[in-house]
Amino acid sequence: MRRALVPVTLVTLIVVGFQLAIFSTLRLEGVVVMLVWLWPLCVGLAGYTSLALSAAIVAGLFFDTHAATPFGLTAGVGLLLAYAASRLGREGVGDLDSAAWWVTPLLGALGGFCAPLLYTFLGFFTLNFGLWRGSLLDSMLVNAVAFFLLARPFTRVARSISGVRERARR
Amino acid sequence: MATNRSRRRLWTFGVIATLVVTLLYLTGGVVSGLRGAANLVVTPFSWTINVIARPIGHLLSGAVNYSDVVAQNQRLRYELGQAELKNKENWALQRQLHEMTTQLHVPFVGSLTMVAAQVTTISPTSFAATVDISKGRDDGVLVGMPVVANGGVIGSVISTTPHGATVRLVSDVNSSIGVTFGDGATTLIVSGRGVNNGLSAASVPLTTAISAGTILSTDGLAGGLYPPGLPVARVSQVKLTPGAPTYNVTLQASADLRHLLYVDVILWEPST
Repeated sequence: MRRALVPVTLVTLIVVGFQLAIFSTLRLEGVVVMLVWLWPLCVGLAGYTSLALSAAIVAGLFFDTHAATPFGLTAGVGLLLAYAASRLGREGVGDLDSAAWWVTPLLGALGGFCAPLLYTFLGFFTLNFGLWRGSLLDSMLVNAVAFFLLARPFTRVARSISGVRERARR
Repeated sequence: MATNRSRRRLWTFGVIATLVVTLLYLTGGVVSGLRGAANLVVTPFSWTINVIARPIGHLLSGAVNYSDVVAQNQRLRYELGQAELKNKENWALQRQLHEMTTQLHVPFVGSLTMVAAQVTTISPTSFAATVDISKGRDDGVLVGMPVVANGGVIGSVISTTPHGATVRLVSDVNSSIGVTFGDGATTLIVSGRGVNNGLSAASVPLTTAISAGTILSTDGLAGGLYPPGLPVARVSQVKLTPGAPTYNVTLQASADLRHLLYVDVILWEPST
């Protein structure tokens, strides 16, 4: 797992790069698709709890340093998503091979739908009571659709790079 | 042995952490230092992605939007001509206004010093409407200063670094500005409703003579964050719900917030 930490962190930084360079300007209905939440969720769905949590922290904190929103909020949401997804991943719920094809995208969509809501909810703890007044519903819907479409390829990437050690053993 | 090693590791970690924090503090605050450090790490990745993706994006959008670009170009030529004409017409009026404001000691318009800045980053999240600009404390930009561009107020400075600042746009959910219109008898609060939803004004009394097209300008009340007379929003629709004690007003920002490239920071601080 420690060996996989380096490639996962590298891919996480690439994801943050994509997020800042492309997805933050390429808005759908004015909403930003949050790859920095999708990536840890997919690592979690692949069944790697600690890798998912570290990806959530790295992606969230690097993203938070570029945003004017409370520092650590994106990372907090990413952590919650990563943990919940990794619980499911460990049970084999989001497994790409054994589960039906739509299970991973559906879990991704559920994550994308809940993430902006979690963000708004956690915002209350940082005394930001106005986050819900923005584009909350739009964010939930757009992220749900985007996560549905991207969850499967992202989980495949997560599984292939997180499985470095298993492959090396074989 | 193991204890010694872990103790040494702890000491090394502590010394490095202290050095990093001190360095960050000395280079302009911990948060801005962290931000700078994070930028240093992420920039090579985003730069590479930009270099690869931008030509592809331009190719696709050029193929799809060519007719839009031509139409926009024609519109801009027309607007430029109009602006030049208006500029010439306004010259005499501006001179007259300058003389009057000097005589009346009104602290705005011609007397305000401004710093031009380039927009470097647009907020990467849909939960905050902010932009980063290229001028900061070293250029006299301070927290709270109003920022104008594209024909109106775009927001105010919320944080600064020596060479940059973050501007909260008027459409941000945490933004609210005191405005007035017409003879200045009525004061309203214009609040942001998020990146997509523009602006709103609450509690517009039925006795107010407000109509579509009315320009709302900063009220400049004593202690306010903005100097008086800066255009903030235009009323696009006035609705009256039967039985309601107030108008339901739809507003559009005076400034075009979607195409911000250059802005002017007004070096103005509220009087205390």
